[in-house]
Amino acid sequence: MRRLAIAMLALSCAACATMTPPKPWEKGDLARPSMTIGSDPLGDRGNAHVYESKEMTGGGGSVGGGGCGCN
Amino acid sequence: MGGEHELLLGGARDPDAIATRAIDDVLRIERKYSRFRDDSVVAAINRAAGGAPVAIDAETAALLGYARTCFEQSEGRFDVTAGALARAWDFGGKPTRRPVAAVLRDALAHVGFGDVEWDASHVRLPRVGMAIDFGGIGKEYAADRVATIAQEAGARHGLVNLGGDVRAWGGRPDGSAWRIGIRHPREERALASVELADGAVATSGDYERFVEIGGIRHCHIIDATTGEPVRAWQSMSVIAGLAIVAGSYSTIAMLMQDRAEAFLANAAVRWLGVDAGGAQRGSFV
Amino acid sequence: MAAIDGEVAAAQPCDAATRRSCEFARDGARLNPFLTAALLLPGVVPAAALAQSMPDQGLFSLQYLDYRDWQPGAARMTVRNPSLYVMTPFAERYTFEGSLVYDAMSGASPLWFDTLSGASGLGVTDYRTAGDAKVTRYFDRYSIGAGVAYSHERDFISRAGSLDARWWTADKNTTLAFGFAGESDYIHPSARELDNGRRHSLDFLVGITQNLSPVDIVQSNLTYATGHGYYSDPYKTLDQRPGERRVLAWQTRYNHHFTVADATLQLGYRFLADSFGGDSHTFDVAWAQALPQGFTLTPSVRYYTQGAADFWFGPPFPQGFVNGQDYTADTRLSAFGAWTAGLRLTRTFADGWRVELSGDFYRQRGDWRIFGGGSEGLLPFSARWFAASVSKTF
Repeated sequence: MRRLAIAMLALSCAACATMTPPKPWEKGDLARPSMTIGSDPLGDRGNAHVYESKEMTGGGGSVGGGGCGCN
Repeated sequence: MGGEHELLLGGARDPDAIATRAIDDVLRIERKYSRFRDDSVVAAINRAAGGAPVAIDAETAALLGYARTCFEQSEGRFDVTAGALARAWDFGGKPTRRPVAAVLRDALAHVGFGDVEWDASHVRLPRVGMAIDFGGIGKEYAADRVATIAQEAGARHGLVNLGGDVRAWGGRPDGSAWRIGIRHPREERALASVELADGAVATSGDYERFVEIGGIRHCHIIDATTGEPVRAWQSMSVIAGLAIVAGSYSTIAMLMQDRAEAFLANAAVRWLGVDAGGAQRGSFV
Repeated sequence: MAAIDGEVAAAQPCDAATRRSCEFARDGARLNPFLTAALLLPGVVPAAALAQSMPDQGLFSLQYLDYRDWQPGAARMTVRNPSLYVMTPFAERYTFEGSLVYDAMSGASPLWFDTLSGASGLGVTDYRTAGDAKVTRYFDRYSIGAGVAYSHERDFISRAGSLDARWWTADKNTTLAFGFAGESDYIHPSARELDNGRRHSLDFLVGITQNLSPVDIVQSNLTYATGHGYYSDPYKTLDQRPGERRVLAWQTRYNHHFTVADATLQLGYRFLADSFGGDSHTFDVAWAQALPQGFTLTPSVRYYTQGAADFWFGPPFPQGFVNGQDYTADTRLSAFGAWTAGLRLTRTFADGWRVELSGDFYRQRGDWRIFGGGSEGLLPFSARWFAASVSKTF
């Protein structure tokens, strides 16, 4: 597992090296809802709440949401 | 607006409707900023030269703001009030001699963007006979707006060519880049070609409009600080993100003459020029 | 050159109506003075390209979620969950975000809850109401937000406060986020009196979002949570968990847009280390395919696996229990793997309306874990949830 995580990190850094960040006029695709991280707050929270209540630990994406008694 | 125009759209459901909207906007800009139409904003500003300030809208003020940047960055060589110089050189007629010194001096006295009084809502040309002309900006501005209108209407791929100034977006529908040819300044063939998915290419050349006097070509690109047509370059093509930016760089590079290479190097844009002797300089790669 | 650029940009008239593009141009001044000036012209780039860190539109969203789970030999549990979210800019430089959630749970809890017979009761309808509110102030290159959250159940109250800051580069391609939250929970089960049913925790977050290319974006967040207090399950016999908990989570999300296919690949990975002893890994893959008529269809798959907590003991109950030592038989703390398959259909309308239907099917099995042992013989657990939502930008 740890090896996989390291491989993913290495992969993302390899990608950094070959890509060029967009110019202001090239951000049309990045503005799409499907490309925007966190564009569906209710959907994300609904799923997170389900997983939090059925798995040992949740969270990781943000801080500050109210907790639940689901431990 | 002279020259040949072209609009290619891809990835949209109703390209005809999008094209109609885009073309309507080009015509709107032409009507609004043509100095040849009595009912244009530019004609109203020029008629009031030496008189009272003319009320302008935000778009016109933004164009004046852009004109100021061109004026400042070119150290006064690119000047939207330079129309008097073109008249002095008589590009419309068939002059047999260059304008005499007194005529040029008088024309230069009617040039000076730095003297124009303007803010976000009004503009005033201080001297009778002064005139502004957005000809060096308006076509490229229209091309960028076509790209925006079409993209916002859903055309994911497109290319617009307004009289040789090209703006492309999204590549071709098959995923490849748009291929854009650069005209040879002296021959009826392409000098080079460039592949571009997103961005713009603009070319300025001494072949667009010129007069030949005693075998010497005098082109319509005139240094507003001296009143003299430029001669260091036959043509200059620049790649930038927006057509209006590419157009400014190509025209000002022509105006910078022997300082053009340093000017463009400082701007970190890709360019290709043909110097007065016909040699290619710069590179698109 | 830089000094001249700054001067040109600063000289542009910046009234309220053009503030956004002015700000953008000020950042653009680094690029070149012509671009700076060009971006002040109306319509030379799509509005989306000028997208600021400050939203210029509000969003109103309503969702209804219907959840059901089952396990062999246990009665089903149903949750009905309407929720509401609103975000709106105000006073030029601020946004307000708020949400309300109501959960109505009915039916039996899953099997592990039944170890305390009759306390939480079978067939009882329970509820949860939760709300949060947050205000963010935007500056030219950074923003600061403050929020509060409150959650209330019959036997549980949670209060939280948070602060966050974001900072972005001039080209807005890199955003750094820092967050801090404090949470205070109070547990008061109906079954018995707790000496001290409180717990307190602090959360810290650092994150980076990077536009890698016109079609690639990556976000990586590191969060650390530390808490102390009551972590046991009051409804479970003999359940005794540590009085402290520390959780480190590293989550990375990566989206790539395929222009030709007009589809977005969404990848996610989260590693989580828990002082209780169970590390977990979560992998997410989704494919958002744009279709004609404004439809988007998004199939997704999620795989999750966790190790067992150090103090977890499997059946037969109460094997492994030693008085005075931490102990749990809660299957949620066992080692297992879980798969989710989801499908969502979204339709976006031109006037800002968006309608979405989604369904997710979830299954947990002990033998789907990829690490950790000792969770043999547990019954598979299944759940499914459907959600319908409507939202509107304004």
